[in-house]
Amino acid sequence: MERASGRPLLLRLVEDYWGILLLLLGWQLWVVLNRFNPIVMPTPVAVLGDLVAYPMVYVQSVGITLAVAVFGLIAGMAVGTGLAVAAWFSAVASGLLNPLTILFSSVPVVALIPVIARLLGYDTSTVLAIVVIITFFPSFVFASSGLRSPPPGSEDLFRVLGASRLSVLWRLALPAAMPNLAIAFKLAAAHAILAAMVAEFLMGTSGLGYLFAKTKSDFQTEQAFGASAVATVISATAFLLAGWVEKRVRERYG
Amino acid sequence: MSAGRWNVLLGALGIALFLVLWEVIGRLGLGGISWPPLSAVLEMLADDSKWALFQRALAATLQETALGYIWGTAAGLGLATVAHLVPPLRRGSDRLAAVLNSVPSIALGPIFLVLLSRDSTPAAVSSIHVFFIVFVSVSSGLQRATPAHRDLFAVLGADRLKRFRRLELPAALPALASGLRLAWPAALIGAIIGEWFGASRGIGILIINAMQNFQIVLLWCAVLLAVGASLLFYGLLTLLERGAYARFG
Amino acid sequence: MLASATISIDRASKRFALAGSSEGVLALSELSLEIAPGEFVAILGPSGCGKSTLLRLVASLDQPSGGSVSIGGAAPGLVSGRHALGVAFQDHALLPWLSIHDNIALPFRIAGRRVDEAAIARLIELVGLARFATARPRQLSGGMRQRASIARALVLDPEVLLLDEPFGALDAVTRRQMNVELQRIWSERQITTMLITHSVDEALFLADRVVVMSGRPGRIVREVTVPFARPRAPAVMRSEAFHHLVDDLTAALEMPDPDSSPSAG
Repeated sequence: MERASGRPLLLRLVEDYWGILLLLLGWQLWVVLNRFNPIVMPTPVAVLGDLVAYPMVYVQSVGITLAVAVFGLIAGMAVGTGLAVAAWFSAVASGLLNPLTILFSSVPVVALIPVIARLLGYDTSTVLAIVVIITFFPSFVFASSGLRSPPPGSEDLFRVLGASRLSVLWRLALPAAMPNLAIAFKLAAAHAILAAMVAEFLMGTSGLGYLFAKTKSDFQTEQAFGASAVATVISATAFLLAGWVEKRVRERYG
Repeated sequence: MSAGRWNVLLGALGIALFLVLWEVIGRLGLGGISWPPLSAVLEMLADDSKWALFQRALAATLQETALGYIWGTAAGLGLATVAHLVPPLRRGSDRLAAVLNSVPSIALGPIFLVLLSRDSTPAAVSSIHVFFIVFVSVSSGLQRATPAHRDLFAVLGADRLKRFRRLELPAALPALASGLRLAWPAALIGAIIGEWFGASRGIGILIINAMQNFQIVLLWCAVLLAVGASLLFYGLLTLLERGAYARFG
Repeated sequence: MLASATISIDRASKRFALAGSSEGVLALSELSLEIAPGEFVAILGPSGCGKSTLLRLVASLDQPSGGSVSIGGAAPGLVSGRHALGVAFQDHALLPWLSIHDNIALPFRIAGRRVDEAAIARLIELVGLARFATARPRQLSGGMRQRASIARALVLDPEVLLLDEPFGALDAVTRRQMNVELQRIWSERQITTMLITHSVDEALFLADRVVVMSGRPGRIVREVTVPFARPRAPAVMRSEAFHHLVDDLTAALEMPDPDSSPSAG
């Protein structure tokens, strides 16, 4: 990602964001030309106006959704990686768990949300549980495969050097798994926030998803779009950040 | 017993244990009324009177997802090609695609409802996710041709378009196949969420109705249908990907 | 400095299971070889003759199906358990996330011993990588990575040194240079060394004794004591005596039906 220094800032911004600007412009024009009632479809300008006028409403909701997504992400990755490490010690455990978890990780998550909600109740802790579950599976799968991909010949090397099992785990398998964990983190980061929102939307608890649902049904469409816009920005930022983390991890751990 | 066979056996055992656990928890009522035994769910799935309902729902959702794939692949392929042939557009395209993918699916629902129609909404939501994944995969796939290949084409006197058609595009096909496979779970979820915003039938509708009417076993059936569809097509797409790599890899 | 040990291979056999065959494949057949303390033995053989299998037996990575392998009288597994084995593979197996210095220090950490910085510094200097101590493996050329791998093999003052085609992946010119370097490095400690190679030049230049193995099942078909005095200058590779031995050994390698009586030089 090189920056051509010395080129005017405006030119660089246009080069990077022309797609998004076109989209917003198109949106604005489409609403104006169709003379949509703001309840049906507001203009981007109107949405921005609402964001600026009532920031606290958004901040509260964002706080909840973000907190749940972040804690869920960390917890899910920790449990997924921890279980993968435990399974690494036992070939039998790995054999039992691997196909099962791969199966689970391709299950459409939204289908599970109503079921999980029925089981655990309709509140924010359930949203947290859902994020943990969503993050757990890719973490386990990627960590498991990463732990088993050390550089060629290094396993033999450690054998000859007389390394203990723990030493192999700490000095070889875990570092070798880092690039895979970074990929899992990137996937999970994007999903965590969106999953939290869908869960909140379905269960009517609190946070951005709930804000969206409530304002939509109350015909406060500008605020509903505002909630979506905020979620989009957060999600895109998380994706970018995770991509940056992945790049650094790949550089460090080869 | 060879290592490979042992692993397959263990894997099957793992899945079997899970199914047994499901049945046991349901029978003993450890999960309350919200966790029915596996046998009850399978019974309803096999029920003739319900089968027409399941069939219609499954067909509707799969049709929407297929349509989403067509639109999404066309858009993703198109934008990736444009960004590849016109390098200054690359960064803007990447950002645009990333932003579109970051819009929550539940927000896309109302937008497409106004933009298109009730029945097109699920396919449209699905297509956004397919678009992004195909765009990323094809973008990276188009860059797969090595400098040695490009030098060859330059020496043979090929113009930009010929090089694209005969070198870069075929080289990108395996990546496209990978993208199609990876996009499947997101595409299915997109279709399901899209249905919540006004479609008349589909698995998503089945799930919502079952949830709101407290029909627990029906809810689990709908979930199982979604899982089954998910796995079946993921398997098919994996085979397609293997074929693409074998032929063009 | 620990004393070098004897490598004793006594009628070792190795049979591998093969899917679809009840008796599998016999990689080694009753092979006997003794490497005295401080002796450098090179093992030559065509591809698939089992020479790498032999090294793996000595390195404790595999168990013989018959016969025995011991290092200084002890089983290889015990020797590796007390971290007294030095090995350099064709795959340098340097960890990409560690610097060259940390890669060479790795055996200390695995053995749970205090890292001897002076020893590492000496070895890095010895293999000529002093300027690259903080670099990462990916920043180094193939030859440099192998030098780091050899330094790592020596850092704990092992009882034996096992080299499995360490220069196999290098080009001919670099390989020549590395042979000269290895001789220089080895002369410093003169550890019992077993080198697996398919280069006749390399074997004759580096070793005290060259052993030729036949194709599968692997057994020894010729042993040659190398007559050249140490230290050997690169010029020795141009002498007539050297060329004679090269021809002799090449012929032994190419023979389809192995002559089982060993003959000296």
